[in-house]
Amino acid sequence: MLRGAEIVLQCLRAEGIDLVFGYPGGAIMPLYDALEGSGIKHILTRHEQGAVFAAEGVARVSGKVGVAFATSGPGATNLVTGIADAKMDSVPLVCITGQVRSALIGTDAFQETDVFGMTLSLTKWSRLVKSIEEIPAVIAEGFHWARSGRPGPVMIDIPTDMLKAKMEFSGPVKFTPHAKPADVHGESTFTETLITLLEQAKKPVALVGAGAKLSGAIPELRRLLDYLQIPTFATVHGLGAVPTEAPYYLGMVGMHGTRAANMALHENDVLLVFGARLDDRVTGDPTRFAPHSRIVHFEIDPAQLDRVRPCELPVIGDLAETIPACHDALRRVKLPDWTNWRAVACGPERGELDPRGLAQPTIRFLDELFSRLPENSVILADVGQHQMWAAQRYRSSLPRGFITSGGLGAMGFALPAAIGVQMAKPDATVLCVSGDGGFQMNIQELATVHRLGLPIKMVIIDNKYLGMVRQWQQLFYQRNYAETDLSDNPDFVAISKAYKIHGQRISESVVREFPVSKETGDELDRFLNSSEPELLVFDTHPEANVFPMVPAGAALSEMMFEEE
Amino acid sequence: MHAFHVHYRNTQGTLMRILNAISRRAIDMPYVQAEPHGYNHKVSLLLELNPKQIGQLFRDWHAIVDVVSVSAGAPTEDMMELAESWDAARHPPVAASSGDSARAAMA
Repeated sequence: MLRGAEIVLQCLRAEGIDLVFGYPGGAIMPLYDALEGSGIKHILTRHEQGAVFAAEGVARVSGKVGVAFATSGPGATNLVTGIADAKMDSVPLVCITGQVRSALIGTDAFQETDVFGMTLSLTKWSRLVKSIEEIPAVIAEGFHWARSGRPGPVMIDIPTDMLKAKMEFSGPVKFTPHAKPADVHGESTFTETLITLLEQAKKPVALVGAGAKLSGAIPELRRLLDYLQIPTFATVHGLGAVPTEAPYYLGMVGMHGTRAANMALHENDVLLVFGARLDDRVTGDPTRFAPHSRIVHFEIDPAQLDRVRPCELPVIGDLAETIPACHDALRRVKLPDWTNWRAVACGPERGELDPRGLAQPTIRFLDELFSRLPENSVILADVGQHQMWAAQRYRSSLPRGFITSGGLGAMGFALPAAIGVQMAKPDATVLCVSGDGGFQMNIQELATVHRLGLPIKMVIIDNKYLGMVRQWQQLFYQRNYAETDLSDNPDFVAISKAYKIHGQRISESVVREFPVSKETGDELDRFLNSSEPELLVFDTHPEANVFPMVPAGAALSEMMFEEE
Repeated sequence: MHAFHVHYRNTQGTLMRILNAISRRAIDMPYVQAEPHGYNHKVSLLLELNPKQIGQLFRDWHAIVDVVSVSAGAPTEDMMELAESWDAARHPPVAASSGDSARAAMA
């Protein structure tokens, strides 16, 4: 006879889980009681949001399912932001929460919340367990849905009496999904239509999103793009999918994308989309998005099609299968010569402008840091100006090397996610770039970093403002900096010291000469190569802005640039 | 008005996910009927939608794990009648008067 809690843990092991993040509490205590000897390592974060973001970090860097535990009530509600984040960014995640005992459900008992109901619109699948006998099947099904198709979050809520109850357990079970009728939206003979579209195309382009990475189709995608040699750009989650040195690669697209990428996305006549949702940060004003474009959308999730504009050719399926099929078909035909179009789209007159203005020191600093990172490094960016600067300056070709909260834009994501990334990739250099606002949203996780001795390199770009909001206030609200002033920030170095983590502060002056002095370079190398956690606070100008910028509601061609 | 029939396995939350795909777009639901249908369940809906919303809803419904199939059709007379009576009613509810509030509080 095994307790429900022991069965849960055995089922997790059967799913390949040996690392979970969480925070104990009343209703989930039986699960914690069973942890010892289960073969599962539990990381105690200092807040449930830290746990779910850390679990996301594992999932995002490894492609495996991340797992977070929390108790009922506030424990469960504290997971909600992470669940929403995983939904938006297609992250395989399983959250297991304790619930008040069955007899109390619906009575507004102490620490009771309807987390099942609360997360229905955020989860891909969820269950409130009704009997101990259900546990093996529920966990097997939950993991199946978390990792299958378009990955996403799953919530399993288990009343505490189910965790305590005992039953004969014959072992984990396998889940077999019901067959679904064939999807009516896919086009089985898509290659013929695709060939026709490309034969007629004068200005074809390719947009790469996260789906290309999630499908594991990066080698196939790179081969196809090398063959086509058409101007190509990536969403923030697509960064790293295409080598930055590829002559047809134009960088990041969207609100803070490069001039070349946004212009090409605006001007093209055939747009190949590989695993991207085409959200508003990528498209700008949807009514003026790619006005001449015929869209070919490679996508595993039919729900992502036609959200902005009807696509001419939906190609539904795993990109690992549809991209090679596409490549095979295109190799058999003679495609038009797009040399002239490529020369315009990738030409020097659309090249990146040198960093200038008040943001120049920060950009130089990030360039300097990134250039010193070993190849296997993973960069995490929180949410805000620093996130966009980091995305703009990211140059690695490591597909899972740049991690950020893209769709939800959840401040406070990076530090706990970096914990998950470092746990999953102990040999990688993990660089966590945050702003002074976001860092304070999960600053308590410094305690987790210290306890685990994780050598995470934390950088705070400190402009003493909620910088991105302030930038919008400056540009669109007549400099009314309402409630974005953080000039009374705490002393981050002193805080890190209190958490027994070495910290230091540097000012913009160190990058006035560029490349930096040998002394500064040595100091940055020491920071990056330290075997201990390190915090570096970089003071930057309060009114530094991120450019280029496509204002909300504008077309991609209507970019704003830093004034001279 | 368009009639839709969503067939689904009646597992926890599936009906709510189907309805949530509608409510998150702030679309009114003048007619909703859910009932057993063979081995599965069926929810019939009458909705006022534009073509883009129809496409989005179809795809969102298909993406729900336990949805089996989605179909559209002409509204039946019963559906239209019930929907019209809902249309005639006050909605969204206007603020209750103090008397209504007091009665509601004591109910």
